[in-house]
Amino acid sequence: MSLAWFARRLMLMVYTVIVVSMLVFAITQILPADAAQSLLGENATPEVLAALRTRLGLGDPAWLQYGRWARHVFTGDFGISMRTSLPVGPEMLAALSRSLLLAVSAILVTLAIAVPLGVVAALRQGRLTDTGVSLIAYLGVSLPEFVTATLLALLLADTWHWLPATGYVSPLEDFGDGIRHLALPVLTVSLILVAHVMRMMRSETLDVLKSDYIRAARLKGLPERTVVFRHALRNALLPVVTIIALDVGYLLGGIIVIEEIFAIPGIGRALMVAITTRDLPSIQAGALIMAATYAVTNTLADMAYAFLDPRIRYD
Amino acid sequence: MTPVLSIQNYTLDYISSAGPVRVLHDISLEIGPGEVLGLVGESGSGKSSLAWALMRHLPENAREVAGSLRLGDIDLQRLSPGELTRIRGRRLGMVFQDPSTSLNPTLTIGRQITEALIQHRGLKQRDASSLAVNLLGHVDLNNPAAIMRRYPHEISGGEKQRVIIATAFGCRPDVILFDEPTTALDVITGARILALFARLRRETGVAALYISHDLALVTRVADRVAVLERGRLVEQAPAADIFRAPRHANTRALVDAVPRPERRLVHDKPGDQVVLAASDIEVRYGSGRLFRDAPPPATKKIGLEVRGGEILGLVGESGSGKSSMARALTGLARFSGKITFDAHEIHRMRDMNAAYRRDVQIIFQHPDASLNPRHRIDEILSRPLKLYGGHLANIPRLLEQVRLPASYANRWPHQLSGGEKQRIAIARAFAARPKLVICDEITAPLDVSVQAQIIELLLALREETGTAFLFITHDLNLIRQIAHRIAVMRRGEMVDLLPVEDFDADHVHPYTRELMAASPVPVG
Repeated sequence: MSLAWFARRLMLMVYTVIVVSMLVFAITQILPADAAQSLLGENATPEVLAALRTRLGLGDPAWLQYGRWARHVFTGDFGISMRTSLPVGPEMLAALSRSLLLAVSAILVTLAIAVPLGVVAALRQGRLTDTGVSLIAYLGVSLPEFVTATLLALLLADTWHWLPATGYVSPLEDFGDGIRHLALPVLTVSLILVAHVMRMMRSETLDVLKSDYIRAARLKGLPERTVVFRHALRNALLPVVTIIALDVGYLLGGIIVIEEIFAIPGIGRALMVAITTRDLPSIQAGALIMAATYAVTNTLADMAYAFLDPRIRYD
Repeated sequence: MTPVLSIQNYTLDYISSAGPVRVLHDISLEIGPGEVLGLVGESGSGKSSLAWALMRHLPENAREVAGSLRLGDIDLQRLSPGELTRIRGRRLGMVFQDPSTSLNPTLTIGRQITEALIQHRGLKQRDASSLAVNLLGHVDLNNPAAIMRRYPHEISGGEKQRVIIATAFGCRPDVILFDEPTTALDVITGARILALFARLRRETGVAALYISHDLALVTRVADRVAVLERGRLVEQAPAADIFRAPRHANTRALVDAVPRPERRLVHDKPGDQVVLAASDIEVRYGSGRLFRDAPPPATKKIGLEVRGGEILGLVGESGSGKSSMARALTGLARFSGKITFDAHEIHRMRDMNAAYRRDVQIIFQHPDASLNPRHRIDEILSRPLKLYGGHLANIPRLLEQVRLPASYANRWPHQLSGGEKQRIAIARAFAARPKLVICDEITAPLDVSVQAQIIELLLALREETGTAFLFITHDLNLIRQIAHRIAVMRRGEMVDLLPVEDFDADHVHPYTRELMAASPVPVG
């Protein structure tokens, strides 16, 4: 990986986060919420309100307010929550860590299931295995996550009592219990992701198997095993890496349904609460943290891509 | 002597929805030890199907109707998948048409050559690596140890083909199949690959089946030549005799279609008045950025003039900038410099008015890409007629002009053959009644015999309309048959611009001489 490429990639990431921070700030400015009013409540006198506005600098031009906010954010200070009067930063980061744990576990489980299934389906194209796997994949894609979640919870928690139905336990405090609590949500999310990652893997493998270099590898007299694992798999994985990075976005934003169903205090829920209570600092922090996470995962995906495909590095 | 490879009464069908289609009829061929058999045929003649049959890599709808394929005492048709793995590469090697797609883009060159050596010669990784370095050096690659660590996109097309050849020879097979190994390379690189093949063959005494559509080229590398036409073997003769005394009508047609510089097809002189003059034309793609230098210009301030009724040839390898020149002249690429046409000066794309765009037409290399697949032929031809004030009633006449029946107006492009599609593209260009037609490699994807017909058509159209041509090609023998003057380009520069009679002279640029030496002239 060339250094210039690396530097360019990092700069692009920083640039993205800065632009997003401006957007987040601008949107919270437009929201019909007055920070001073929210802080002091309905019964505050106009004089007290005006005094607080001056103290908070709410009368200053927007760019000055942005500059002040950005400087604080840069040092990790996202402000005080208007709802709980606690610092926003630590709370949001804790929520993010729970969501990330869920997202990363789901992606690992997905990869472990979807990649082999996709390759097998491609190798047995048109046969019973392929049809069966594809059918299950279609089911996974077409069921909404709350249906999948409810079905799984009914079976695994209510009927068989294998797993706890809801709640979150940090694996750092109690590893076994943490994993048991994580299992149901991870399984639900994976079922949906497996479906489309597997379909992607299948079609990519089919494409790669038709390519000239696979034919060349076969006609060189390499055994089928080597042809599939050494020559086909890596090339077929390339587009899947991109899909996974996009899925992280879905997981962070769209996982809120899962977090609601299984009562996990993740970033999606925290942001939802912040928006409904018009807690400006929390909204800003939540949105910015999610955007930054997204930018970082995409950069990581690009690097994984460059690692898998040597042609990328010098582009 | 027992043959190393023997094909007896081999007959092959492909099953289509309309029933079986016979692709190979009763083929019998033998290759003796150390012999090179050339197999020549046009596209669709079945020559590649024969190669796939030998490699046991037939498509699923193939049915082997009769005959046998034997490698020494091995019956190729009865091999199990496991046995096949030990034959492919080890006893029967293959070199492919397009080296740029035949190497895996995500594995190093070293990996791709050693894996074959480890598989077939039972070597340890370390021994395989040192043997691979030797082999790469032996095919004249500079710094083979560094090449081993590179990826395919980091070496040139010619170098890739050398890697594939080194891999094939390195496993010491009895026979190697060469499937058009130089078609995807430019002329000079192709000539060097041929020289390498001749040397390795002398050194190793390997037998080979050399497949090509290019009769002139095959006569230079093969001991014997077999001609395949629509799945039938029509002639087999020593290479030296094929050109001198072709026996079969089809072979004779193939021989006649091979362009030879000494057989001029154009005898008149062009007019004196200049139709188009271009000077200091520079084309650049993309610009520099942070951490990134600007790419070098595709053409470096070059100029040319085309006179009334003249055929000006523009020759060069891929990447020499000849297509960029065509794109600049037609306003498809941004350029700097000056074009003078009919006393009208053009400095940028914006200056090109409707009259210029009507008078200067371009025909592209691939008719498949330049004809809209969702438009019928009449719609394709009606566009220029409407745009430039022609009459839709002219469509039958336009088709007749390119020797196609008027009924083709209702057809779709995919219902036409490659040559017919190119005729439609020519008709579209001539619909505007242009003064200059730019032909950008328009015969490159066609067979020799179809190429000869297209050239004949262009020359007839020139007689009728007096149009001038800028004819871009990499085929020096072809352009020397038809052009009045020829410009030679290399790396964005014009190294020569000479009347065709002067091409044999001594004062041509060394690169032009190299290009001439690399253009295969038929033996015999």
